[in-house]
Amino acid sequence: MTARGAIDAYVEQVAAGLPGPARRRVDMMAELRSGLLDAVDSHRQDGLPDDAAVAAATAEFGEPRVIAATFRSELAVGLARRCALTLAATGPVVGLLWTAAALASHIGLRRALPWEAAAPAGATDVVRLLLLALLVTAGGALLTLAVTGRRAARRAHRNRVAPAAAAFSGFGAVTVDVAVFTLLASQLASAPGGLAPLPVAAAATASLARLVLAWHAAQRCRAAIA
Amino acid sequence: MRAETLKGHLDGLLLASLEAGPRHGYAIMEALRAGSDGQVDLPTGTIYPALRRLERAGLLAGEWDEAGGRRRRTYSLTPAGRRALVAERGTWRDFSAAVTALLEPAPRAVTS
Repeated sequence: MTARGAIDAYVEQVAAGLPGPARRRVDMMAELRSGLLDAVDSHRQDGLPDDAAVAAATAEFGEPRVIAATFRSELAVGLARRCALTLAATGPVVGLLWTAAALASHIGLRRALPWEAAAPAGATDVVRLLLLALLVTAGGALLTLAVTGRRAARRAHRNRVAPAAAAFSGFGAVTVDVAVFTLLASQLASAPGGLAPLPVAAAATASLARLVLAWHAAQRCRAAIA
Repeated sequence: MRAETLKGHLDGLLLASLEAGPRHGYAIMEALRAGSDGQVDLPTGTIYPALRRLERAGLLAGEWDEAGGRRRRTYSLTPAGRRALVAERGTWRDFSAAVTALLEPAPRAVTS
């Protein structure tokens, strides 16, 4: 194997199974690779032949599995923070669109909240689930942002809380969307005439897009917990 | 010196290695080895995630540059990093003075 081939094989071993964000991961692996090439140069200058210099460099850098764990921890923090920021940015938009849709529809918002007025049987349980899921989503996102901030980065520690909290937040957001769609379905079944088509369609589209986004984000964060 | 012994002090050592000027990852490791007479000898791969974390904490600034046909990521101390290094030094002095006082046999008190 050529020197570069052996270096690439080492980097690939470290990179295998590391969580995203992809750009950050690629950047960090490029840095590891450049460091290994520096190490090979250094061992060559000490008089080692090529093969031995490469072997010394990879041995000096450490067991790929152990090194991968340290990278994983750092990458998981970046991933969790990004997921939490995405959820924090999209959540209020989806919420506002549904609120606007409810206001535009004549479902008794003046007397009470839309779901309390003429709520079909079973809807109140869905509303409870929705409120609980909202709390989990917001709480998870806030916790993630708190433990991935600058202050937290000053301490070296294995950050398992960040990806776990971000995953909770993501699954919470999915639950919120599913609950809202359930309420919408029961409204369509009982009194479709009261709904304002355009605002409801806009809110439903945004909600569906967010559901897919949150599902993927939650899966990636869950995979990064290990 | 094993990694566990160094635990908790690696951040300070990384900051200190950049006090004189910017360095890339491998040069930082070489500086730690040379500066400690080979006593500090960690798996080199572990310092890269640590550098990224310190960058995320705002203590270091990292930047890619190219020299001699090879791209390297060079790190330098930020003003917050310099302050953190000063604080780290103070903490270490207090800690080491206390431990030294406890571990070293005390000279017998002279009674008049």
